[in-house]
Amino acid sequence: MMKRFFWAYSILALVLLSFSNDKLRESPSCIQDFCLKGIDNKIFNTKSNNAKGYIVVFTCNHCPFAKLYTKRLNELNRIYSKQGVPLLAINSMDSVLYEEETYTLMQERAKKEGYQFLYLQDASQSVVKLFGANHTPQAFIIWKENNKWLIKYNGAIDDNGQHPEKAVPYVAQSLRQLLACKPVLQHKTESFGCRIMLRK
Amino acid sequence: MKQKLLLLSALLLLLLNSVTAQYNTLWIPDTLSGTSFNLNIKDTFRQIVAAGQQTITGGINGNFWGPTLFVNKGDTVHMNVKNYLNDSTTLHWHGMHLPAVMDGGPHQVIPPGSTWKPYWMVSNNAATYWYHPHLHETTEAQITKGIGGLIIVRDAIESALALPRKYGVDDIPLILTDRDFSTSNQFQVVPYGDSMLTNGTLRAQYNVPAQVLRFRILNGAIERSYNIGFSDNRTFYVITSDGGLLNAPVAVTKYLLHAGERIEILVNCNGQNGTTVFMKAFNSLLGNSIAGGENFPNGPFANALGKIDFNILKLNIVAPTTSPITAIPTSLASVTTIPTSSAQTTRYLTMSDSAGVPGVLGPNAFILNHKLFSLNVIDYQVPLNNTEIWQITNSTAFGHPFHIHDVEFNIISVNGVAPDASQAGWKDVVFVPGAIGGGPGTQGTPSVVKFIAKFDDYADALHPFMFHCHISLHEDEGMMGQFVVTNPTVVSTLSLHEDELEVYPNPAKDKVFIQFKDPANTAYYVRLLNTLGRTVLLLPQPQLGEGIDISNLSKGVYYLLVTDQLKKKTVTKSFVIE
Repeated sequence: MMKRFFWAYSILALVLLSFSNDKLRESPSCIQDFCLKGIDNKIFNTKSNNAKGYIVVFTCNHCPFAKLYTKRLNELNRIYSKQGVPLLAINSMDSVLYEEETYTLMQERAKKEGYQFLYLQDASQSVVKLFGANHTPQAFIIWKENNKWLIKYNGAIDDNGQHPEKAVPYVAQSLRQLLACKPVLQHKTESFGCRIMLRK
Repeated sequence: MKQKLLLLSALLLLLLNSVTAQYNTLWIPDTLSGTSFNLNIKDTFRQIVAAGQQTITGGINGNFWGPTLFVNKGDTVHMNVKNYLNDSTTLHWHGMHLPAVMDGGPHQVIPPGSTWKPYWMVSNNAATYWYHPHLHETTEAQITKGIGGLIIVRDAIESALALPRKYGVDDIPLILTDRDFSTSNQFQVVPYGDSMLTNGTLRAQYNVPAQVLRFRILNGAIERSYNIGFSDNRTFYVITSDGGLLNAPVAVTKYLLHAGERIEILVNCNGQNGTTVFMKAFNSLLGNSIAGGENFPNGPFANALGKIDFNILKLNIVAPTTSPITAIPTSLASVTTIPTSSAQTTRYLTMSDSAGVPGVLGPNAFILNHKLFSLNVIDYQVPLNNTEIWQITNSTAFGHPFHIHDVEFNIISVNGVAPDASQAGWKDVVFVPGAIGGGPGTQGTPSVVKFIAKFDDYADALHPFMFHCHISLHEDEGMMGQFVVTNPTVVSTLSLHEDELEVYPNPAKDKVFIQFKDPANTAYYVRLLNTLGRTVLLLPQPQLGEGIDISNLSKGVYYLLVTDQLKKKTVTKSFVIE
């Protein structure tokens, strides 16, 4: 009798949970080319570059946790752009609803904080849907193979936002493996941070 | 073999001891006092788990739970609530008696980037109240982040009593919750967590003086009830129910506190300097119809704290303070309950499973009055100044903490039995037990709870108050209803013409004023938008004589959407800030 009660309640719980939480978006295994406007007013297109791959980081202006990573993003870009893997920071937050994420304030923030990498606005939120990204900061490594962009890594930049000196650098580790033509050992970690809400 | 087993057991015990012995100092929320409060709701993070990744949280001013607000009965308090989240929210003043338009329920949405400025005259009795988000279908997720905080009301009656009131010293706030952490230390939005969090602190301990202590305890959990007691089974004294002091301290050894409820207790630690005692949740004693009394082996409700006893706070008793409180008072306040004979209306509510009800989630959702909540349906129109008995019949196998906005009430009976002395004061949450003898395949006898309340002071035909199960998951799922308090005056069907009010000066600089041609009219609601349509300010019933402060806004064209008090109609006026 008791077991039946537990079973019934668990089913109920599943029903309730499936309704109560916004579902996280799923990421595909590969993506198509995309283009976005950068804060330099130029259109960036993955097609027109000869990169081996890209470090794509979904970030934004307001998220305090994402803000912790500015130096680390500069450093990743500095090291890996030389090796053919530049960093693209993409802001997909709804700038219609949320003023702090507007293009002008993106420009201001990048200037003030000394962004050394491309900061692109996903104004239509099409690229965040393409990647199935959910949070800021959320990192992807995309790699060109047979004219396709394969997602080789998806998740956190590292495992300690506040103390980089203690962190396991997930993105850097995966990049080192990729550049050494080795398989990526940890291709997915948990993504968390500020939710990227899609405009309805 | 036996020796090896013994050695292994000893090692395991040592290991367990070393793990459980790592206590963290209880975090005490900051305080704000006065009559004007700035509350900034934001995305943030906090180092909750000792090592590794920080946990993404939500905060009000800080990074988990907001400040404790000290307010005085009789004062008019002004709240400036700014939403820095990239999502809408609301902020509900749980237990406060105030106009519905200031209540912070699901209708008083604060869009991202805007400031909501409710205000009201504090008429509640001295006790511990709280504030938390109440955006429909999002409440569980936003409370899980830690958005919320305590409100402590003081009044002349409480102040005249010899009670501990040195905040954080002998008057200690405790917000009880539990959370589940992912492998990356992130909160999971689930009804039950594996880890007890007391004021956002894991394995909390606190140095307390050897004298009479006062704990203000809020059950801020998503679902779990806490059966509060002490490791030495000592007697403690309940001095308040949700909404005020009791007649006299009530001696107990356990107190079962449900989601949304508050109690204040006194604990006698006289002469115990140098000793240690644990405040615990004795949840192994709970039946499985009470949240936290179930022990699910797996599935989404499985959790490490189900139907076990666990620590809430380790108390390290140290030297007493100067001029300590050393005695438990013999009497407190004089609670005059509402006589049942004064009731003009009785309303009959039901709690049930949704089997057979079309359009709901499935056969096993919990619902009120046989339907899911709808923002567009007003369930009851309560006449202003009406005294009402609400009778709630629960035919589900599970108990639900029922909360009503606007009023504090007196429990009349639970299954025909009058409340014990610890629940005989003012309440705003009442636990409605599950059906007696109910379970799968067995209907059981429905439980019946009755309470009485008077709906005075604030009539508003537009903005409703809520009533709901305070298990946030159930509430989000639609176990909620709403009522308006109405006065008999006829609502005008006339329209409001633009020329019936004037906005000046235009252009404006620091303040903008709204003047109605009819001196009897005033603003019911003012919403200020910029040219991009973003809401900047939300002003329920603004005091127009003082003007609207626009000194912090950037230059440009703005739109005022003014809803008037008499006709409840809205006109739009534009003006320029330069």
